[in-house]
Amino acid sequence: MIVTYNWLKEFVDVALPPAELADLLTMLGLEVERMEGRGEGMDEVVVAVVQEKAQHPNADKLSLCKVNNGREILDIVCGAQNFKAGDKVALAQIGAVLPGEFKIKRSKIRGEESSGMLCSEKELGLADESAGIMILPPDAPLGIPLFEALGLKDTIFEIGLTPNRADCLSVIGIAREIAAKLGEKVRYPGLTVEETGPSISGVASVVVEDSQLCPRYTARYISGCTIAPSPQWLVDRLKAVGMRSINNVVDVTNYVLIEYGHPLHAFDFDLLAGGKIVVRRAGEGESFTTLDGQARQLKSSDITIRDAGKVVALAGIMGGGNSEISEKTANVLLESAYFKPSAIRLTSKRLGLHTESSHRFERGADILILTRALDRAASLIAELSGGRVAQGTIDVHAGTVHTKGIRVRLDRINRLLGTSLTAEEVVQMFNRLEFAVETVEPGVFDVEAPSFRVDIEREIDLVEEIARLHGYDQIPTTMPKARVFSDRPTRHQKLENRVRDLLVAHGFNEVVNFSFISPDSYDKILLEGNDQRRHSIKLLNPLVEEQSVMRTSLLPGLLETAAKNASFRVLNQRIFEMRRVYLAREGRELPDEPINLAALLTGLREPEGWNRPKEAADFYDIKGVVENLLGELNVSGVVYDNKGAENFYHPGKSCHIRINGEIIGSLGEIHPTVQENFEIEKPLYYFELNFEKLVAHGRDEAAVKAPPRFPDTFRDIAMILDEETPAADIAQCINGLKEKQIEGVEFFDLYKGEHIPPGRKSIAVRVRYRSPDRTLTDDEVSRLHTRVVDAVIKKLNVSIR
Amino acid sequence: MEDIRKKVEALSEEFRYRLIQAANEKALQELKVDFLGKKAEFTSLMKTLGGFSAEQRPVIGELINKYKVDFENSIAQELVKIREREKRERLAKERLDVTLPGRRRPIGTKHPITLVREEITEIFAGLGFQVAEGPEIELDYYNFEALNFPKDHPARDMQDTFFIDENLLLRTHTSPVQIRTMLKHAPPVRIIAPGTVYRCDSDATHSPMFHQIEGLMVDKGITFGDLKGILTIFVNQYFGRGTGVRLRPSFFPFTEPSAEVDIACVICKGKGCRVCKNTGWLEILGAGMVDPEVYRHVQYDPESISGFAFGMGIERIAMLKYGINDMRLLFENDLRFLAQF
Repeated sequence: MIVTYNWLKEFVDVALPPAELADLLTMLGLEVERMEGRGEGMDEVVVAVVQEKAQHPNADKLSLCKVNNGREILDIVCGAQNFKAGDKVALAQIGAVLPGEFKIKRSKIRGEESSGMLCSEKELGLADESAGIMILPPDAPLGIPLFEALGLKDTIFEIGLTPNRADCLSVIGIAREIAAKLGEKVRYPGLTVEETGPSISGVASVVVEDSQLCPRYTARYISGCTIAPSPQWLVDRLKAVGMRSINNVVDVTNYVLIEYGHPLHAFDFDLLAGGKIVVRRAGEGESFTTLDGQARQLKSSDITIRDAGKVVALAGIMGGGNSEISEKTANVLLESAYFKPSAIRLTSKRLGLHTESSHRFERGADILILTRALDRAASLIAELSGGRVAQGTIDVHAGTVHTKGIRVRLDRINRLLGTSLTAEEVVQMFNRLEFAVETVEPGVFDVEAPSFRVDIEREIDLVEEIARLHGYDQIPTTMPKARVFSDRPTRHQKLENRVRDLLVAHGFNEVVNFSFISPDSYDKILLEGNDQRRHSIKLLNPLVEEQSVMRTSLLPGLLETAAKNASFRVLNQRIFEMRRVYLAREGRELPDEPINLAALLTGLREPEGWNRPKEAADFYDIKGVVENLLGELNVSGVVYDNKGAENFYHPGKSCHIRINGEIIGSLGEIHPTVQENFEIEKPLYYFELNFEKLVAHGRDEAAVKAPPRFPDTFRDIAMILDEETPAADIAQCINGLKEKQIEGVEFFDLYKGEHIPPGRKSIAVRVRYRSPDRTLTDDEVSRLHTRVVDAVIKKLNVSIR
Repeated sequence: MEDIRKKVEALSEEFRYRLIQAANEKALQELKVDFLGKKAEFTSLMKTLGGFSAEQRPVIGELINKYKVDFENSIAQELVKIREREKRERLAKERLDVTLPGRRRPIGTKHPITLVREEITEIFAGLGFQVAEGPEIELDYYNFEALNFPKDHPARDMQDTFFIDENLLLRTHTSPVQIRTMLKHAPPVRIIAPGTVYRCDSDATHSPMFHQIEGLMVDKGITFGDLKGILTIFVNQYFGRGTGVRLRPSFFPFTEPSAEVDIACVICKGKGCRVCKNTGWLEILGAGMVDPEVYRHVQYDPESISGFAFGMGIERIAMLKYGINDMRLLFENDLRFLAQF
């Protein structure tokens, strides 16, 4: 909603300067989002008179003028033709800055000095187009800043209104709020319509067929109008609030719309068949072309305004070209009606047709203001177009509007707000808001809100009005007198933080990808046709196709991110994401939204440096991260299982991660085809885990043991065995001996190639021995070690080197 | 006997000379072997003791022993000196270019949205608020209906919604967590609910996916003044002591009275700048007293309890905190940006 300072002052006395008024409005809940001074910084444009006008010696189209600004006579070169000596003009003096940061400087034009510029309306920002320079009225005071002289100095406020405040969609509405806050009275315009025409009842008639949808319809008839451009004051006012001038009749309806907040519509009466208005539901599938030239398919939920035959307007939203005011119009039928808010909203939303009119009707208009707005507009139209207003008003309504009192308790107000207001203060505030108050008993009131306050229905609405008018800044700031609470984060929340910290410590950067992905992502990561993860939840109204399905895996997002960063030449990447995925569930109200944890790494193992080797990361780097993670959460019974690995991995360099048989995730090198699908050059290593399952399998505390008091001894075994035999089998075989004095098994070398038979590999294993209560002797260790070597040879087809 | 005394003194003379000559540990070691080793001449003197009388023996023994102790001590002292000197020489020689970079293990970063969420959650946890969560794919009932957004009400236009079907949508705010929490727990309730939310809107200040933190406190006798108190504490803890806070009337269907909460501009300290559009204030959250209509949906009695709710955009706060002027930066996942946090 845009209003101006001067316009507001027509209705309420305000001594506050514009900036302070803006603060007052904002603190009332009418947020001033923009403030713009009109004519601000334009004081160097002044009223001047042309004393002489002569031909420029060196240019046919230029004239050389002597211009008097009231203090001195200046030489000015001008290119316009539409003026003569003696005319009052707008002179931009040296130093003036015109709209568009156009600075006026002393200049020489074709060899002649020019000490300023004569301006057009367009150059001053007063009109979109202008022919020639602006000629001022002869009585314009010489030397005075132009905007002051023309009364155009003003401040424009753009106010962001919340949807509950339909009553403030007008200058009067906002003036009312100011008056209430300042304790002033609103000066409502006095309305007497000079009815010099015939009686309306003999000319026009109105039939409302559905009083549910249109509880009230009023109309006036103005005959003998001459359609012409509007006077300058009206054009300026409309322009100030962002509206374009059309003609003297349409402009008046718009003017009253802004002034009173009530939408009006003017019909060319001679185009209304039968001189008749009918308000009726549209026929299903009926077509109507609105003023903007669009043919609209109507539904029976739409309200139409029709004449004896055709549709002439889409009620409360937009009129039609078939009855529009034109240059030929002589007689006008002016409509001021009230339509059911939800019906207007439904139609406006369905047709995507949002107008000043629909905006107000769908929020709720003031049903009692109809005739006042009508009278105001009829008088103005008659005045500006030379027409005559017919006697009487058509007023079709379903009956009187009943307003009922709302009970409000003083104690309730103070208890909710934490204030100690008195009955007198509260009653006074209600009165300032034009609310009628009846005291039922001490501290209990019945309050009746005026018809324009459609948002006031309940006691709490009145509590809010008191808070608002009293001022939120006047309410004391306190601390809750509440019972003591102490809650620690849940285990899940703590683990979430711990895992994030761990990945950060491993050098990973957290990323946040959108939860919706492209439906072709699943093809790109090679999921099987029957993979459950393809059953994504789809959005009905995505912004773009690439963001239209809810992800079931974090992989597509992380690959997109890796590809994007690679294109920025960030080649060493460690990224992770720990967020929800969205899994459809048959027969349940809501999908499942488990948190997944995924990380991707590519490039060098460590950043390149002057003192370290340049080594590419590999499978075991990502696996190490997973191992640390599972260790941190004290997960035991983990098996890395290469059987039936995910399709998006290299089949030989990937595995499922199982805990006690249950798959909780996977890890591996990304399949080269997937890599190609995302146009990434370097190999990528990835893991994705179901965080919920991880939490379920994790233990909060590690089993802590005292440090050993006796030294360990280790023995190494270098063995050659089948390439296919996993290292895990060796560890399992040794640990399977269940010897208490075997402390651990470590792998310290892996070799294939020369000196090793094809299909075989060499692995070096270190076995660590220790007893908790004594130092083991050489003999004891040798005996144990022999058992170990024998077991390995026997079980694993191993030869010892 | 005189012979042997002379012999010992001559050897001692020689020892002194050699000791002065010994330049390093090795020379000292040789000296030790030459004088105190098994085959040393000095050692062999002891073996001649048998040829002396019983009176002379202890005298000579004592004499030789005195020199032996003297040799040992001298060598030990010299060894310490040599080692000290060698250490000094080594330290004088060894030099690194300390301006070359060290061997750094790269440390990762949390996303700024995570950082802001953690910090805000921590402040409210300190005030006794417990973290609550809810589904992102939500029923229309919890997202709108129970929060007093009737169907076909203009208030729904404030939040452009992604739909899955007629009843299912991507939540447009974290407020449905209020409803879910109150349905599960009788008052008192004191929660903070961070989460991901969605609206179909995308430009420099809007992202189709973003994050909010919701707060709710319901108990006996909670007032609007208490809401001001809690928010003032939060603002002072997060943005710094003495940061101005201003509540001004606004409208949300699920709170009444409702407020927008501004803080004194953190960039210009309230003087007026581009970021605060010369108002000196920055809007950071919406709040209000829980509307009685909401209590009706969760079967709380509005006559016996009262409470407040508030909600803020994490991105908005992150942008203010880190001086980011385009929200899209937070979702582009450009590592050159993220690695700075």
